[in-house]
Amino acid sequence: MQHNVAVSVDRISKSYGSFRAVDNLSFEIYKGEIFAMLGPNGSGKTTTIRMILDILRPDTGRIDVLGGPINEEKKNRIGYLPEERGMYRNVQVIEMMVYLGQLKGMSTHDARQRSLELLKRLELDDAAHKKVSELSKGMQQKVQFAITVLHRPELIIVDEPFSGLDPVNTLVIKELLLDFRRNGGAIVMSTHQMQQVEELADRLLMISRGQQKLYGPVDQIRREFAQHAIIVEGEGRWDTLPGVAQVDMHENGKKEAVLYLSPDATPDSVLAAIATTKGMSIQRFELAVPSLNDIFIQVVEGHDHA
Amino acid sequence: MSGSMLRVFAYELRRNLRRKAYLFTTFGVPVLGFLLVMGMAFLGGSAASNPLDSTDMFDLRGVTDAGYVDLTGEFDDPGELANIFTRYPDEDAASAALEAEEIQVYYVIEADYLETGKVRVVMPRFNISYLSSNHIRRMLLEGLREEIDSPELFQRLLNPATYNEIRLLPGAGEDTADAPAGQNPDAQFMFVYIFAIILLMSLFVTNGYLMQSVIEEKETRLIEILISSLRPFELLAGKILALGLLGLLQMTVWLGSILLLPRLTGFGGVLSMLGPLVDTVVPPGLVPLMVVYFILAYLLFAGLYSIVGALSNSMREGPQYAAVFTLPAVVPMWFMQLIIATPNDPLPVFLSLFPITAPLGMIERLAVTTVPAWQIALSVGLLALTVVGVMWLAGRVFRVQTLLAGQAFKLKDLPKLVRG
Repeated sequence: MQHNVAVSVDRISKSYGSFRAVDNLSFEIYKGEIFAMLGPNGSGKTTTIRMILDILRPDTGRIDVLGGPINEEKKNRIGYLPEERGMYRNVQVIEMMVYLGQLKGMSTHDARQRSLELLKRLELDDAAHKKVSELSKGMQQKVQFAITVLHRPELIIVDEPFSGLDPVNTLVIKELLLDFRRNGGAIVMSTHQMQQVEELADRLLMISRGQQKLYGPVDQIRREFAQHAIIVEGEGRWDTLPGVAQVDMHENGKKEAVLYLSPDATPDSVLAAIATTKGMSIQRFELAVPSLNDIFIQVVEGHDHA
Repeated sequence: MSGSMLRVFAYELRRNLRRKAYLFTTFGVPVLGFLLVMGMAFLGGSAASNPLDSTDMFDLRGVTDAGYVDLTGEFDDPGELANIFTRYPDEDAASAALEAEEIQVYYVIEADYLETGKVRVVMPRFNISYLSSNHIRRMLLEGLREEIDSPELFQRLLNPATYNEIRLLPGAGEDTADAPAGQNPDAQFMFVYIFAIILLMSLFVTNGYLMQSVIEEKETRLIEILISSLRPFELLAGKILALGLLGLLQMTVWLGSILLLPRLTGFGGVLSMLGPLVDTVVPPGLVPLMVVYFILAYLLFAGLYSIVGALSNSMREGPQYAAVFTLPAVVPMWFMQLIIATPNDPLPVFLSLFPITAPLGMIERLAVTTVPAWQIALSVGLLALTVVGVMWLAGRVFRVQTLLAGQAFKLKDLPKLVRG
């Protein structure tokens, strides 16, 4: 399948003195996708993001952004929401948004119109003429997100976009991200909230100690980490089924069990056996796919899958 | 100027022009200063004027109505001082006049005055102006007018000498170059003194804003968003140019206020308190050099303050680091008397060449002596080179250190910062 590449990173490395922050990293980010960048603290995510944004230069390797090496014009086509984010505290929200829009090449009029439009969508109309210091933390987060997409970028890089947001505001930002993706934008999302990645991301890159550990579609990676097991919920003696080597009953009051299969058995053969065995009924049958959280811990602790 | 730099420039200009602290310092301070001077002039009041000839050596300010009791019988007429002094036949009459507040003070010329010179002063309460012996001494001299045949001699008694200062400097003919015809060296010096004060205030105040601005963007972590939109150099240059312009505006307002405010408000008399300053013609060669030194000094300190801003993690840290170079910058002020007295000695020459002290050191020397052209060229050259170096370093430190928000600066990190 031919993908429309927004960012191409080819064997980049970056060291700070003797510390190798990023080590021979390669990946691509496509237009119209949410690309999750995962890794423990200090793994090299922020350094990689800063290199994509040309804030730092890689020691070796090449980065192409929106069709070639980054330049000043391309910076205006990128939106960035860093993890450590802030705003001028004693300035009106609208004034600051217009200034930051101007720095991204917008005219004063366009920046003002677009700012008001975004503030309205984020239900912050009343905040436009307030000073930033008068806003709650959640409101400030939303304004920061609005600034990220203010200049209609083609690529946005968001670092922990949901931190500090309540569930309602999380939903608002999620919708904005999904909208952005629907319109063909590329989103790089760096986060530790694995649930959000499972829900939103199309593909992911997991880095540890500056090196690539996992890279690919989220579903595929989870399947790759799946054990030879199935999760069932229902009635019956699971240990009597052919092909089932071990049974773990879950203590959650749902009659849920994990069935570990023998090497020659397949999920299909076990499903067929359940269907033909008298006294057995099932309400749920699915592959035992680990959560991204489990995978993250497994990878970071060094127990890479085979 | 690139588009981004221009936008930063315009924004910083707008933002700081609305800053209350800037508006007060720029416009409020001159008004307050003027009011203060005006108040002092008013308090001095009409009494401040000397009713007698301006060549008179006696300063008669402070007492407008006085009495005296002459127990010698030699001083029956106060002469030209009749508008100040009233003679009373005895001390009871003088005391009654004092209690009735007809006079502010009275003097008793004792009977043995001619032998002892004793005069007693009586005042209702302590007043430092009344302690001055000028009035009575001048009045006593008036009593001797009749005894002195020659009016010229009497004038000499009033004003024994008029003198001109002549500075003796090494090198033939240099003395005349010091104070060109029609120029008052004191006026030149006062102008330079005011220039120095304004330069220092302007440098420290506006660059203080620059430092605050850098620290604020670092402290609030806005810096990362900004430098993902434009080059760090553009951000820094936009700020430096905007605040430089504001500094220039501030300096212009202050200088303009000194010269214009008293005239515009009808208190032109206040100008006289500035002594010879307003009547002087500043040496034509000094003005362009002042402009050159002002610009270079501003850029030098803007670079230094930017470095401090980038290294600081809070508004509290900044001024502490800045003291490292603000204190040396004012050294020529401390040594001003020395520079005036011996402008070509090694220390004044060094202070006029060393980049941080050169802006003040050289201007101070130029005000009182003829500085060899090579020294001026060397001073400007060294300063300009330092500006280039500091700006380069500021760009490096700014780019690297601003990303390390929250991490304290350590001296061992310096090589890393320099390498960028």
